[in-house]
Amino acid sequence: MFFLHNLERRVTLHPSYFGRNMHELVTTKLVKDVEGTCVGDYYIIAIMDTFDVSEGRILPGSGLAEFTVGYRAVVWRPFKGEVVDGITYSVNQHGFFAQVGPLRLFVSAHLMPDEMQWDANATPPQFTNNADMVIEPGTHIRAKVIGLRTEVGQMWAIGSINGDFLGCLQA
Amino acid sequence: MSKTIGLGNRLRYPITIVELLKGPGETIKKQEVLMRYSFKWMKEVGDTIRGNTWQEEQTTIADWASPTDGELRKWHIKNGELITKDGPCFVVKEACSHEIQFQGLCAICGKDMTEVNWAAEARDTDRAPISMVHDQTNLTVSQFQATRAENDLQRRLLQQRKLSLVVDLDQTIIHACIDPTVAEWQRDPSNPNHESVKAVQRFQLDDGPRGVTQGCWYFIKMRPGLEQFLAHVSELFELHVYTMGTRAYAQAVARIVDPEQKLFGNRVISRDENGNMYAKSLQRLFPVSTNMVLIIDDRADVWPRNKPNLIKVSPYDFFRGIGDINSSFLPKRQDALAPDAAAVTNGDSNPKPKAGRTAEASKASATETPASAGDEVDPELTQRQLEEQERTLEKQIKDRPLQLLQEKLDKEDEEAEKASTQSENNQEAPRSSPPLVRHQVLVDDDRELEFLEQHLTLLHKTYYEEYDRQRASQRGNRDAELVTPDVGQLLDSLKSRALRGLRILLTGLVPTNVDIFQSEIGQRVLAFGADLRTDVSRELTHVVVNSQRPWTKKLKRAARYPNIKIVNQGWLTACFSQWDVVDETTYLFHVHPDIPAAERLLASGGGADTETDASEADDTDGNAEVRPRGRILRLKRPKLKLVSASGETRTLDDGEESDDEDEGEVADADDLLPDEFEDGQLSPIDTLKTFNWGSADEELDEFLAGVSDDDDDDDDDDDDDEDEQDEDGANEIGKDEDKDEDASETTDSEAKRRAKRRTTPTRKRKRKPDESGASGADTGTESEGPASDENGNVPKKLRRAKSAPGTSSLRNQYDISDSSLPTPADEDDASSQPKLLAARTQGAAEDGGDDGLDDIDEAELEADFMAEFEADGSGPQGEGLGVGKPGDGGDTDKG
Repeated sequence: MFFLHNLERRVTLHPSYFGRNMHELVTTKLVKDVEGTCVGDYYIIAIMDTFDVSEGRILPGSGLAEFTVGYRAVVWRPFKGEVVDGITYSVNQHGFFAQVGPLRLFVSAHLMPDEMQWDANATPPQFTNNADMVIEPGTHIRAKVIGLRTEVGQMWAIGSINGDFLGCLQA
Repeated sequence: MSKTIGLGNRLRYPITIVELLKGPGETIKKQEVLMRYSFKWMKEVGDTIRGNTWQEEQTTIADWASPTDGELRKWHIKNGELITKDGPCFVVKEACSHEIQFQGLCAICGKDMTEVNWAAEARDTDRAPISMVHDQTNLTVSQFQATRAENDLQRRLLQQRKLSLVVDLDQTIIHACIDPTVAEWQRDPSNPNHESVKAVQRFQLDDGPRGVTQGCWYFIKMRPGLEQFLAHVSELFELHVYTMGTRAYAQAVARIVDPEQKLFGNRVISRDENGNMYAKSLQRLFPVSTNMVLIIDDRADVWPRNKPNLIKVSPYDFFRGIGDINSSFLPKRQDALAPDAAAVTNGDSNPKPKAGRTAEASKASATETPASAGDEVDPELTQRQLEEQERTLEKQIKDRPLQLLQEKLDKEDEEAEKASTQSENNQEAPRSSPPLVRHQVLVDDDRELEFLEQHLTLLHKTYYEEYDRQRASQRGNRDAELVTPDVGQLLDSLKSRALRGLRILLTGLVPTNVDIFQSEIGQRVLAFGADLRTDVSRELTHVVVNSQRPWTKKLKRAARYPNIKIVNQGWLTACFSQWDVVDETTYLFHVHPDIPAAERLLASGGGADTETDASEADDTDGNAEVRPRGRILRLKRPKLKLVSASGETRTLDDGEESDDEDEGEVADADDLLPDEFEDGQLSPIDTLKTFNWGSADEELDEFLAGVSDDDDDDDDDDDDDEDEQDEDGANEIGKDEDKDEDASETTDSEAKRRAKRRTTPTRKRKRKPDESGASGADTGTESEGPASDENGNVPKKLRRAKSAPGTSSLRNQYDISDSSLPTPADEDDASSQPKLLAARTQGAAEDGGDDGLDDIDEAELEADFMAEFEADGSGPQGEGLGVGKPGDGGDTDKG
């Protein structure tokens, strides 16, 4: 689920950048540092604006200036039970992997409808119900997240396509 | 699925169950208390400060929590029970057995498996320890799931009548390099290599190593016939790629080899997913059963656990000297066979610079890596190796080894051109010199895949024949469906037929401190069914010589047996790749520098059989066995003189010039004497020192009683003495030579003895052919050069063998051996005339008895005799030459 979230971050600036457009530089650096990262259990998708750049404070010893920046960002936090869209990137007999934005999701063969069968002879190998659903690398799928785990800077999810309106997306 | 849970070994046994809190059928949660138990323990009570303490027994009641979620089915314990040790506690039907896990998450129920739980003894992540998917390492499954997946796979393969084939990339089906020279050659049609590199494909990797090599082009040459090979093989096999390159590299190569992904599909595994930088393992892909899996790889050492399933192919080395660009993580290549096999087989047509190999060697040594790092990957080491690889790649881009090679080759060509024009000028040949053709470094003449396809087809056929047979015998038994034959065993049995019956000696190929039976090449020889010998003997069929380091002692000894084919390692490589005894002709090691080895083989081919016949006849007497062998050795010594040590120098010295031949010959004979001692030292006749000659003589007397008189017996005694001296001499270097000279100095006494001998008619008759052979050899050398000398020796051997079945083989050999004594060609020559006549009649008499070999032999004899006659015609000079030379040689030596 997407949220607009107020966040705060300390940004340091090298003395060579000190000057008139310092605040602009601070914002740029913030965007570069933060956008697209996984922080705890959510991803920072985009920074909307910075609303508060504090006074710079010179760090003793290094001469860097530290700014505390308050900013507003669009964050995405996947929840258990959330339905997400993704693109399949790898398929094997145990299930398939899909990329949901920055999140990697695995859908096990146990969590597919019963009629979905593994077809190793197809080129490339795929899951198919021999009707409208064929899951192979590149297929767009819709899955329900049933498990999530985060590590520093990374997140993984387990998904299921066993349910109504889940599975392949007809483009 | 029900699972029995144990009490665990952390409890303070013995315990008494106090109360069961849950009943069968109830749902239990992890860490929920299921029962209470009590245990007794001793507590120290009292005043610890004054040291006034005592033990007191305490009874404590503790909770026992569930290590798992699910539905409780049945208790194995009951209230009030006293339990003394760990055992089953209850049966639970688990909600999820967490058999497939993705990065610490159960892929079935979505629970986090990494949570540490005080109630459970084992971590949940241990439930799915097996990683068996090609392109992911973070997906793991349980043993049960793995077995099921593999059974599915096997069933499917059996249905399609296929097998699995794991294919290595680098140097097996392709050869890669990043030398930018290739691109230049591709653009330049005038370059001699243009034709070769036309078919080279290339790609760039964006996530490749940084630095100079960033964004460099990878050039990929497919092994000749690859497309066809894969097309055919993919009908019989399901193909997997298993490479030590990075994933991006593997996929890029797979795209080139298999653009439509029809062959490999997504079955590509690289070092990124391998989990081990040093070794490949079939268990990574087929954790349960490798019964239906074959491997083709150019390196056997990276498959420590799967040797039975491996078909080792000879490495494809198109870009010479580059080697395997992804090998910096692997232990250094150790098979001595591989690198120069190609250079040996077609060395005649293209002079291949050795620089490539040395470059490779230096690279290999630079990137030396510890082989046995096991599964624990030291990050520091890995980092270092990554840097190492980067460095070698950078070096390739900067140094451009291919360009260097070509430049060197061009230079050689130029020189050759110059030389040829010069010689043409000298000869004033009218024809114009041929247009300058630049030799090319890159030659595409590999045929490995043809043979490989044959082997794989054969294996596939054999496998399914075996499978059908097993099926037929187990009809009706449903469970037997998945009993599959082991393709590794079939491979072994097929391979072991390839060289069966050969007895092979390797020399110069394995370092002396390595056990030949443990060495890779030794094991391969054994795997192909050949008999690996460590010592030279008559039974050997082949001696494989390292052409880089020839002239080992073993080779010198083996050269005495004409039935042993002496081949270079290229022959072994060819045999390994063709699974058959390859025709040796092109691989024969040129033992005699002046005679093409093939000719030598032909010439000695006839002699081999008869010789063994003769010696077998000798062997009927156990005691006498040693002696004749000694004789054989001595017989061949004169030939050996020409053959050994200074051979190399001679090839350089007297190639074509027939004028200098004679001096060369004599000088050689002198130079070679030391080698002879070495031979003597090693030879089996050393044992003769302790041999009881007296008893042997008695036996001989008995044996020869019918044919010979006293004179002859004396003769034999003389010979024996000489022999003993000889052997003694052989033990001390230098002594033998002295004795040779002694012998020539004391020709007077020798002459007397010989004169005596000649009075006995039988003696004479037998000496004759030998004499003529020896003198024929002499004259031959003078007139035609060493080749005819060789011929002269061969008939001698044949003759000895031929006469063996006649009266007494022992005697014959003694007689002949006399001529090989360094003594006195003069008296022999003097008496040669009457002997010749007798020899003719003898030859005629034996003609009827012997078979086809005789015809050749007869012709040669005739030639020898003619030469003899001619020599006799110019009698005095011939003699003078014959005697004078060795004497001179001896003198100069002494001086």
